[in-house]
Amino acid sequence: MSGLWLAIDSATDLASVAVGTPPLARGAAFVQGARQHAAQILALIDQVLAPTGVRPKELGGIALGDGPGSFTGLRIGWAAAKGLAQEAGLSLRTVPSLMAAAAGAARLLGAVPIAACFDALRGQVYGAVYIVRLDVIETLLPPTLATIDELAARAPVRPRAVVGDGATHYAAEVQRWSGAAPVPLEELVPPAVSILALLDRKGAAGAITDPATAEPVYGRPAEAQAKWEARHGRPLPHPSRRGS
Amino acid sequence: MAEVLLGIETSCDETSAAVLVGGGWSGAPELASLIILSQDIHQVFGGVVPELASRAHLAALPAVVERALAAAGVSWSAVDAVAVTQGPGLVGALLVGVVYAKALAYAGGRRLIGVNHLEGHLFAPAVEDAELAPPFVALLVSGGHTLLLDVPAWGRYRLLGQTRDDAAGEAFDKVATLLGLGYPGGPAIERLAAEGGGDPARFTFPRPMIDEGLEFSFSGLKTAVLHAVRASTDLAADRAALARGFQDAVLDVLVTKLERAVEATGRRVAVLGGGVACSRALAALAARRLANLPNRARVAVASPRLNADNAAMIARAGWWRLAQGEASDWTLDARADLPLSGLEPATTHPASRIPHPS
Repeated sequence: MSGLWLAIDSATDLASVAVGTPPLARGAAFVQGARQHAAQILALIDQVLAPTGVRPKELGGIALGDGPGSFTGLRIGWAAAKGLAQEAGLSLRTVPSLMAAAAGAARLLGAVPIAACFDALRGQVYGAVYIVRLDVIETLLPPTLATIDELAARAPVRPRAVVGDGATHYAAEVQRWSGAAPVPLEELVPPAVSILALLDRKGAAGAITDPATAEPVYGRPAEAQAKWEARHGRPLPHPSRRGS
Repeated sequence: MAEVLLGIETSCDETSAAVLVGGGWSGAPELASLIILSQDIHQVFGGVVPELASRAHLAALPAVVERALAAAGVSWSAVDAVAVTQGPGLVGALLVGVVYAKALAYAGGRRLIGVNHLEGHLFAPAVEDAELAPPFVALLVSGGHTLLLDVPAWGRYRLLGQTRDDAAGEAFDKVATLLGLGYPGGPAIERLAAEGGGDPARFTFPRPMIDEGLEFSFSGLKTAVLHAVRASTDLAADRAALARGFQDAVLDVLVTKLERAVEATGRRVAVLGGGVACSRALAALAARRLANLPNRARVAVASPRLNADNAAMIARAGWWRLAQGEASDWTLDARADLPLSGLEPATTHPASRIPHPS
């Protein structure tokens, strides 16, 4: 992984960016509040990039939290990354946003099972369980859409900590599952810093082969799509596209 | 050195990019390319699904922009500025375009300008007609808007009237659904109406508010069509006549209000804009009736691809704003309800309160 990389994560209410030479971050910035993301994401990027003197086209690449999480939040981070990467043909790599959140807690707790949960509304969360080791990430439960109690039933181990806004939203269930109070993302290093730290670790990052058409992992279909598919008993047909 | 502006539009279900090239910001640019990608996925839903539109924009936008640059024969290094639709529109869809455009501008050290979608529609005929300039009256009719504006100068807009309920294009879509036609409804209804279907006066629908000022209302008309559909004993046989009767009613209302606005303001030019302005029947009726007015106003209407949502009109409006020395900064944000800058409310203009001359 050569050169300076930019990392972006906007899967939750907390949007963060970081710049550095993986695994180390040289600068980071974040904004809290989903309504601020679109307005502030480029300002945050400028805030961390400008002091380095490196222009966007000189970056080694861009690393993205790929969800699951807030649909709109994810698109904001991804639209920014696509726009920054396109002209210079920068490499894009992804790390699951839940893994980045868990890695923040692993800095404090070490290589123990850690669950990350983002609020998915309707009583559900996007949840996953990881052990973050220095050389490899062990995924004990991959990103899953479920209630906290369902996650507890599916996870092979009891996590030492549960982090994220999905954890704080369902604090009683989390306490029952892990025996510990939920950990807000705001108490950990910004997820974008963790993305840079994870980029070289086995089991963490994926490459995007076609940045132009790539999409984040939304975690669930659009509601209208889900209803249509339930009503018709088949997947929504892929749209044929016409251009002029 | 020519100035090059990249335009981006993602306010609804069209992903579009365009390139304008000109010999100075103060002059009229030429359209070098326009790419419009329509999201057909919404057809099965009978209307636009905002979340699916937003997802499709993110997946399509970079390739659409590359195609626009390639078609224009322009390299990235030649692009001086980026114009993007800031609103109004579907906020999730707008956000994709706004953030992506900001990143393109930031990456290349380019100027950035957020554009009001409605102002883009006003500029659409000027993309093809460099001589077109205010003063004129404008009728903007689409799935989201029905507006009558007086435009004494670019950047100065007086609201003469607007719809009190459904937009005209929305009424077309809803009636098309009632008639079992596809989405979008306007083209389907126009095609069917053109087929004839016996006595054109078989279904004569009410002309809502036709005798009252410059405001519009289309929800009652839609209900009248619903009653007629329910009363029909052979909908397949009546469908074309129903489409004809509905279209005649909508166009009569639109053109009557436009006539009234032209008479009240004394303007000699009337601009038609928005998706409904793709209707050849509307353009033909407006041209015929406005030519018969005492001031013999002419109708200016862009070609259909520039009346539908497209990035060329956004780029043209952005070009004018940049020429005024305006620019947006990195905190530019999408707004679903973005007001038209320079718009005076209806109550300040006497033309909006004029009685019907008859």
